[in-house]
Amino acid sequence: MRCGAAPLGPPQKDVPGDGGTRGRGSGAAPLTPLPAPVLQVMLLGDSGVGKTCFLLQFKDGAFLSGTFIATVGIDFRNKVVAVDGVKVKLQIWDTAGQERFRSVTHAYYRDAQALLLLYDITSKMSFDNIRAWLTEIHEYAQKDVVIMLLGNKADVSSERMVRTEDGASLAREYGVPFMETSAKTGMNVELAFLAIARELKQRAVQLPDEPRFQIHDYIEAQQKRSGCCAFI
Amino acid sequence: MAADVHKKKGWEVPNGSLAPGNGQHAERSESPTPGLAQGTEPGKGQSAGQEGAMFVHTRSYEDLTSPEDGGAVVRSPEERRGEPAEPTSMEQISKDFSELSTQLTGMALDLEEEMRQSQEGKLEPSPQATRHDSVLSGKEEEDVTMDTWRMHRKHVFVLSEAGKPVYSRYGSEEALSSTMGVMMALVSFLEAEKNAIRSIHADGYKVVFVRKSPLVLVAVARTRQSEQEIAHELLYIYYQILSLLTWTQLNHIFQQKQNYDLRRLLAGSERITDNLLDLMAHDPSFLMGAVRCLPLAASVRDAVSTSLQQAKAKSLVFSILLSGNQLVSLVRKKDQFLHPIDLHLLFNLISSSSSFREGEAWTPICLPKFNSSGFFHAHISYLEQEMDLCLLLVSTDREDFFTVSDCKRRFQERLRRRGVHHALQEALRTPFYSVAQVGIPDLRHFIYKSKSSGLFTSPEIEAPYVREEEKERLLGLYQYLHSRAHNSSRPLKNIYFTGPRENLLAWVTSAFELYICYSPLGTKAGAISAVNKLMKWIRKEEDRLFILTPQTY
Repeated sequence: MRCGAAPLGPPQKDVPGDGGTRGRGSGAAPLTPLPAPVLQVMLLGDSGVGKTCFLLQFKDGAFLSGTFIATVGIDFRNKVVAVDGVKVKLQIWDTAGQERFRSVTHAYYRDAQALLLLYDITSKMSFDNIRAWLTEIHEYAQKDVVIMLLGNKADVSSERMVRTEDGASLAREYGVPFMETSAKTGMNVELAFLAIARELKQRAVQLPDEPRFQIHDYIEAQQKRSGCCAFI
Repeated sequence: MAADVHKKKGWEVPNGSLAPGNGQHAERSESPTPGLAQGTEPGKGQSAGQEGAMFVHTRSYEDLTSPEDGGAVVRSPEERRGEPAEPTSMEQISKDFSELSTQLTGMALDLEEEMRQSQEGKLEPSPQATRHDSVLSGKEEEDVTMDTWRMHRKHVFVLSEAGKPVYSRYGSEEALSSTMGVMMALVSFLEAEKNAIRSIHADGYKVVFVRKSPLVLVAVARTRQSEQEIAHELLYIYYQILSLLTWTQLNHIFQQKQNYDLRRLLAGSERITDNLLDLMAHDPSFLMGAVRCLPLAASVRDAVSTSLQQAKAKSLVFSILLSGNQLVSLVRKKDQFLHPIDLHLLFNLISSSSSFREGEAWTPICLPKFNSSGFFHAHISYLEQEMDLCLLLVSTDREDFFTVSDCKRRFQERLRRRGVHHALQEALRTPFYSVAQVGIPDLRHFIYKSKSSGLFTSPEIEAPYVREEEKERLLGLYQYLHSRAHNSSRPLKNIYFTGPRENLLAWVTSAFELYICYSPLGTKAGAISAVNKLMKWIRKEEDRLFILTPQTY
């Protein structure tokens, strides 16, 4: 079915309803009008780095200020975005960062086609844990999963504990794209989702000899356009 | 000390009525909600069909009218509080305890001083730990040396047998680590003598201990509740922790590492525990050990239940629809029963987080009374954003999110097809009924619990109980009556209570419990006829107030 399926758990069952469209096979016949391709994205990272706020900013354009509300388990939401005029349905898993929810998070890693891995630029610890997260990802996620590293809370630069260069060099080491973001101001939030949506959509409908979509170049170009410089 | 404690692992406080047996973790609950389970009626205790039989067990009426019957008339708690409560023994006890703590730990004599010390000699929390607290719990930690901290009506502490803080309702656990050390010292000291500390009563405070290895739970309360009831609340906190970790995991962790810092695993759950404590302070469900239903026309409820029943999946064990903290419908797998305590924990989980409002959550949850050794996986979602209607689908399979999510879709579809959506919406607009509907002028409020079904009904709390303190005071009165009625050494069947601001009457039979609160100007005779009339009214309305025909898949 899919390469690199995680070793744990029973084999992936076919899901009634949307099961058929979840895979990447749906792009096989580009000429007939298809239902919007469905892409699964998962938000990962330590507790309190702002995953839920990041998602809310993207979904509703709002920032949830006030007290911290820990996500319970994993949380599933949909959002339809347009990529080059084509509708793509993003199914987004927001996960709880706490240790006790790891097992349930692991169980859904392998369904995800893209992972947004967040740390908090004001927390050295959350950055230091990124390596552990990446190890886990390599263990449980699909081999060809799209990963993006995001340094969140870039708006609170006064409390910054992690330099942009450190984020960038870690990303380079693992060969994943990197950005600094702010769920509060909305900086780079939409870009992050759109970049992966574009990448995945491209993969889904890619013809064998078509040039590959370059997510790195795309992000760089988009950021240059918006005058932001927080990239490798 | 720790080693000493370790040796006695498994030794339990012999608290017969509250602590579930030692082996409870291994077995299914013994007292499920049979009404939801076996199809019995809420009023069934009076054997359905015989209207007159409703009062078969009511020696009570004679009891009520004859004041010379010992327990029938009791004094108000205020009065009781005033009386000297064996001062000598009390002093002796508190003296003993302070000596004992010094002896054991070399720490301060009294709590106050102890607290000050703990502040000064506070362990340097690592930057990581500080962060953990400020970010994860999201609450402003109180300064434990301040008077405001000490003035809280009820403190709750959870610690490990190594004396490590696990949870404190107010103030940060770090600042309280030496206080908790003293608590553990008290517990171990008495255990060394093959004894158990259950409570300390002094200076208007009750300090109640519940020992559930590997945890110790302590409450310091200024409330009127009995020791038994405070211990009952502590047990709820214990079950709450189990629901996050399972009994098996909790024990495994401490077997591996006795001085494990459990807060690491419980991170982010402080809000859930806080919420449970707040709920218990104003929701009679916990006191009653029963669940309240959303008042709903039987036809609508049946349609909802049938829709739930049809939207099943192999891994589903319970489908629960709830609104606020009231049950709308519950469908269960055949032969599987849900205990009210487990349902309360689910209610609490949902009411403690606004994060379920959108999207679909999928979380592991242990239902400790059902089976404390494993996790279920719960799918939690609101049907519509503006509607206070939450669907909870409890599955045995962690991998089954999409299947269960599809059950939700199917349920909504069926609901729409049956056209009960509008009726549901109407019912949600008035989630509580007014006591005026009963038509008894002096009646202010009541709680009626059907024992066989594990369900209770109660009107909205109205004037004069408007302010929060007044509401809590009313609940306090119910708590008081409840504790007298269920006193393990001297239970009472009927209590007639005359207070300065209201009169109350409690009536406990094998089939039901009834607590009524009415005007202070009412007479006892008036109260009795009110009970008669009220019981008839409940009978008439029972198909709206209770779930009479529980469904299975």
